[in-house]
Amino acid sequence: MKLSISRYNPERDEKPYMQDYEIEPGPEDRMLLDLILRLKARDDSLTIRKSCREGVCGSDAININGRNGLACITRLTELKEPVELRPLPSFPIIRDLVVDMTGFFKQYHSIKPYLINHDPAPERERLQSPAQRERLNGAYECILCACCTSQCPSFWWNPDKFVGPAGLLQAYRFIVDSRDHARQERLDDLNDAYRLFRCRTIMNCTEVCPKGLAPSRAIEQIRLMMVRDSL
Amino acid sequence: MMQRRRPVFFNLLQIQLPVGALTSITHRITGLLLALGIPISVYLLDRSLRGPQSYAQTTSLLDHWAMRGAAILFAWALAHHALAGVRHLLSDIDIGSQLPAARRSAWIVNLGGVAVALVAAGAWL
Amino acid sequence: MAVRKTVTGLRAWLLQRATAVYMLAFLVFFLFHFLLDRPHSYAAWHGWMSAPGVSIAAGVFFAALLLHAWVGVRDVLMDYVRAPALRVCALALLFLGLSATAAWVLRIFLGTAA
Repeated sequence: MKLSISRYNPERDEKPYMQDYEIEPGPEDRMLLDLILRLKARDDSLTIRKSCREGVCGSDAININGRNGLACITRLTELKEPVELRPLPSFPIIRDLVVDMTGFFKQYHSIKPYLINHDPAPERERLQSPAQRERLNGAYECILCACCTSQCPSFWWNPDKFVGPAGLLQAYRFIVDSRDHARQERLDDLNDAYRLFRCRTIMNCTEVCPKGLAPSRAIEQIRLMMVRDSL
Repeated sequence: MMQRRRPVFFNLLQIQLPVGALTSITHRITGLLLALGIPISVYLLDRSLRGPQSYAQTTSLLDHWAMRGAAILFAWALAHHALAGVRHLLSDIDIGSQLPAARRSAWIVNLGGVAVALVAAGAWL
Repeated sequence: MAVRKTVTGLRAWLLQRATAVYMLAFLVFFLFHFLLDRPHSYAAWHGWMSAPGVSIAAGVFFAALLLHAWVGVRDVLMDYVRAPALRVCALALLFLGLSATAAWVLRIFLGTAA
């Protein structure tokens, strides 16, 4: 298989450049990450974040043939050659395919991604009905890989003021959690010209989410809640 | 530690444009075209209502080949922008906001705008 | 990041949606009329435009159009014009341009009512 991978060593290179590789997949290689690690055995300087190798940690999010995805769950048979691998768009490149996620996490933290409950702690769990628990489906599964946010044009233009799809999906997750007591504050926090309302429902986020989640729909639901509250 | 700024990957020609993203950027471009067309449209409206002579001048002005071309472009812009707008309004109330439906509606909007432009070209050229 | 909460994102978004719905309705009505009953003379055109119902509906249409354009172009400026001073100038120019157009349209419609 032919690959073309973005390389950048800050100690040596002025700017990133594409390096071509040709390698035969092993008999048990199924996913792109398998091939990248095989390449790494040949050229140890090739740098990528990876961990679980099964699509749950989110470490190996990269841009594959123009579209963000997780290398460990991207099938080799579905890839057009030469396979072009680049780091996530618009995020500062630390080295090769590794990017600086600081800005991404800053936006995530800004929505207060933790339960805010003013009742005294119960002896055991804070109970939820199955229907209440159902409302978290499609939101809690986010692995914070940043595929969505780095593919969002609105985030490209305003990464410091727009929260982005991942952050907003998590804001939604806590807004609809029956155990959370800060619904109004969370909604008010998002109600300015930038934090949520830069979203133009372009839907790149939902297109590329490797977990099949729909941040764009969560954002629409938050807007509807704001509208209903204002009536 | 490196002192200089880190580079980024941001070549729009190398980043994939899903069909919905094409609908979206065209929605923005047509919006700007329509906004730029407001002064000319108001001018034509003004002239057409001033009196019979002015009205006749305006209609003959619209007959000019350049104006016909502009009108066809305007028709495309208006059609795409309105269709994409309807797609947004429906998505707001949770109709067609799931990915497969959203992709389908994006295709319909993109092709619909072109179809209107072709009909306009047929009628006005 | 505390922005004045009187300038909420929700208000602008609702305005954009509401004006869009009105304009769609007017557009459909306008197209229908033009396809079925095209005015063939100045008298017919002027008569139709100065009829109170049409005149008022068209006036509201232009108000909606200019408000919709304000929200839309402002969004574009907020996305692409990052330098604050430049953005404020651009927004001011936009506001002036739209206000001038509003005044112009008002003159046209007052003219037909005379």
